[in-house]
Amino acid sequence: MKVKLENLSKRWGKVVGADRIDLEITDGEFVAFLGPSGCGKTTTLLMVAGIYKPTEGSIRFDERVVNYVAPKDRNIGMVFQSYALYPHMTVFQNISYPLKLQKTSKEEMKQRAQKVADMMDIGHLMDRKPAQLSGGQQQRVALGRALVKEPKLLLFDEPLSNLDARLRLSMRGEIKRLQVELRVTSIYVTHDQVEAMTMADRVAVMKDGKLQAYSPPDELYDQPRTLFVASFVGNPPMNLIEVDVTRENGDYHARADGIDLIVPAERGEKAAGKGRVIMGIRPEDVTISEQEQEGVSGEIYVVEPLGRDDLIDVRVGETSIRVLADPALRLKMGENTALDFNTSKAQFFDPATEQSLLW
Amino acid sequence: MTLRQRIMAVIPYVLLVLTVLPIVVGYFWLALSSFSVSTEGLRSTGFTLSNWSFLSEPPFGRGYPSIWRVTFNTFVIAISMTTAVVIVSSLAGYALSRLNFPGRKSFLSLTLILHAFPSVTLLIGIYFVLRTLKLYNTLTGVGLVMIGFELPFGIWLMKGFFDNVSWDMERAALIDGASRLRVWGEIILPTIKPGIAALSIFAFISGWNAWLIPKTFTIGAGQNATLSVFLNNFRGDTVAVQWGAVTAVGLFQLIPVAIFFIFTQDLLLSIYAGGAKGGT
Amino acid sequence: MNVKNRLERGGTPPLSPATPERETSPIGARLRSKLEAYGFLSPAVLLVTLFFFIPVVIIFVLSLSDLKSSNFGMLQWWLPVNWSLENYAKIFGNKFFPKILGNTFFYVAVTLTLFNFSSALLIAVLTTHIDRRAGFFFRVLWLLPRLTPSVIYIMMWQRMASRAPHGILNQLLVPLGIGTGGDLIQAAPWFFVIIVNGMIGASFGMVIFTSAIEAIPRDFMMASKVDGASTWQTIRHVILPSIKWPILFVITYQTLSLLTSFEQIMLLTDGGPGLYKTEVWALTAYHRALSNYFGNNQWGYGSAWAVILVIIGVGAAAIYMRVFKFDELVQEPKIDLL
Repeated sequence: MKVKLENLSKRWGKVVGADRIDLEITDGEFVAFLGPSGCGKTTTLLMVAGIYKPTEGSIRFDERVVNYVAPKDRNIGMVFQSYALYPHMTVFQNISYPLKLQKTSKEEMKQRAQKVADMMDIGHLMDRKPAQLSGGQQQRVALGRALVKEPKLLLFDEPLSNLDARLRLSMRGEIKRLQVELRVTSIYVTHDQVEAMTMADRVAVMKDGKLQAYSPPDELYDQPRTLFVASFVGNPPMNLIEVDVTRENGDYHARADGIDLIVPAERGEKAAGKGRVIMGIRPEDVTISEQEQEGVSGEIYVVEPLGRDDLIDVRVGETSIRVLADPALRLKMGENTALDFNTSKAQFFDPATEQSLLW
Repeated sequence: MTLRQRIMAVIPYVLLVLTVLPIVVGYFWLALSSFSVSTEGLRSTGFTLSNWSFLSEPPFGRGYPSIWRVTFNTFVIAISMTTAVVIVSSLAGYALSRLNFPGRKSFLSLTLILHAFPSVTLLIGIYFVLRTLKLYNTLTGVGLVMIGFELPFGIWLMKGFFDNVSWDMERAALIDGASRLRVWGEIILPTIKPGIAALSIFAFISGWNAWLIPKTFTIGAGQNATLSVFLNNFRGDTVAVQWGAVTAVGLFQLIPVAIFFIFTQDLLLSIYAGGAKGGT
Repeated sequence: MNVKNRLERGGTPPLSPATPERETSPIGARLRSKLEAYGFLSPAVLLVTLFFFIPVVIIFVLSLSDLKSSNFGMLQWWLPVNWSLENYAKIFGNKFFPKILGNTFFYVAVTLTLFNFSSALLIAVLTTHIDRRAGFFFRVLWLLPRLTPSVIYIMMWQRMASRAPHGILNQLLVPLGIGTGGDLIQAAPWFFVIIVNGMIGASFGMVIFTSAIEAIPRDFMMASKVDGASTWQTIRHVILPSIKWPILFVITYQTLSLLTSFEQIMLLTDGGPGLYKTEVWALTAYHRALSNYFGNNQWGYGSAWAVILVIIGVGAAAIYMRVFKFDELVQEPKIDLL
């Protein structure tokens, strides 16, 4: 099923929950709503679910406007962060509740609930109460309950946030796989950018109720349209440095205190002559230089071992730059070092509008 | 510990024991008297079981209803009051807590005002309402009035319990396809069992104990009498008081109250605390 | 979880295209969901209308008429033609009016001061400063007067106060040579009216003060002890200031409650002994309208007494809602009706 949000807003008095969201989800697509808490992603999701009434704009399922269709008539399944299982019902009763409400025959109810439960690997827990299950098992029951009525749209509201890190990783894979297998259109709300980037076909980044960007994960990563997207997506976050970009002798230079970098022309020309701009460069696009003489030099301020890499905080003049480095280099705090910038990946933003100068 | 500290530690206990003494002594006398020929102060003049003969024959002579008829009346009032107060309060409490509708704020303020409102001042008006509805001197009438009086407390108490139920659970049920009435009955009510228990106990006790309303809206100690009304008629000065029998009936009436008192102490204290937050 | 395997084994995919949604018109859906809310409220609204609103209107109208048993069925009390303020004039002209007014003030002020406030606070402070279980035990005991059917409770007190040799107090007093051994309620009716009501009333404040005191951070108490404060100083400087609002709440609430309750007085002394010795305002209203000794129920006149209480009650309730801002406890529903 296709989902289309048009100019969708939700306000409570002066409080803005969602502000003129325009977005289209194709049939079978997996879309993530990503943003910090309070950005309006859950509000938007709840409007799609029919729990909140839009103040403005419309929601279309395929071509039909569903603004006034009750949640139960929207044919959706939803999974909540808190699992939202019915504590007084067994696993079987929880999973089969949607079917019971559809007045499905006892026989069919049993069969379908069992099938979904088996699919979720909880088929042997049918007689337990939610309180007797682990968090992961509870979330599988919630998933089963959402799937059992064979919805045309699946909604996830931070479903993995209450799980521990290991379980989160494996459930992430399972949900993704399930979605691909079932080809059911899905919206997945999360504040965890790794979840959004790894699972979704497209990611909608939101901030203060507004849609900031809506694109596939790699595009989001490589071509961030706003400063917010650039800084929110990616871990460790992108370095942001205030620079002046000028053209000298046919080369574009980005300059700041102690920094002088040559930027490829196709990026440099868009940032040149704009006064102070913000240059963004990801930690993995900066390397510790083997040759002292070239590049930018600074002092190693902090070394944080992350396991596979070391995260190095290098001070260049007043600016602090995060760099990912090979632990084999055995860098030490206080040492002087030089940095190489892969400026072909550099981003440029207008400091006033916070829009990208490139995309 | 020094002597002074020891004295200081004992003082609270002494004070507390002294203050509760009248209550304890009162109960002791009640029990003693019911098994005594008569009492002088806290002294029994002789043991007897004859005070309890009301269990098998009408007490205080012929012409009065049997104790079982009266107990039945009281029980019917208390149980129907409990059922009705719980259902009506939890319906209204749910709407006030969970549903968004025009006038919600006004309804809430109204509940609060009624909560603090001195309802007994309205008895005169209610007398006319009951007469008009032809419910004067009926158990139905008495029951309805008592339900009505209990509602502001009940609605407020239930609203408090509903406020604490997870919104996600209710959203899930709506998405699963339940109507609000089903959500209320199948999903939310089962999760607030402690609240229902609290309100049930409260309503049952007040229905079981009630005197003023049954007394006002029924006539004398006839077939519609409740235990309190019945008992009070034999305590008065128009008949020679048979203290032994009266106390035995009194003790009999205390049985359910005592059961709640012994087994649900925590709940009792929390009912009065919970209700008191909005006033009781 | 191996979806693919399960699907292959299961044969058909678990998800098939679902049935198309029912069309619902916006207006119809909105109306239905609003009616739903009123449906939930309707039983409560019906009962509240029957036993609060209509009676209020009735007593207002009645208070303007001269309806009584002797002209019942003849006087069309609901017609404005038969209305006057005579009943109110009669109240203030009544020669026992100052007596009843005085009684009411005396009863409310003394019971409130000694019991509903002071005793409640005392019990709360004491039971929160001794062993937890013991404290709980005493508090539960204090609930007994409230839980006991009023008829039985009053019976206990009457026996407590009755004349020698039956009375419990006289068993103690007579050997000590105190009193004459006569009925003590006759001798000191106010003493018993106040203690009987006070022992019921104290538990209300007790419960509220207890939870308020238990909510005071333990560090506060500890700090005060470490600073070398005496118990009295701790109470004065730590406990009292932190339960200021509960105190105000209990006082206002209990004032209203004492002002309008009369059940225990009616059972204990019925306003006596003698003429209007312990008759309070609320009891007068009841006596006049519903329980006249001579069988002549003066509904109109009694209503006038009640109306004054109702006005005080509504006014107090409104002020008290403003002061305690209970409406701010209200949270917004997190599900919209579409």
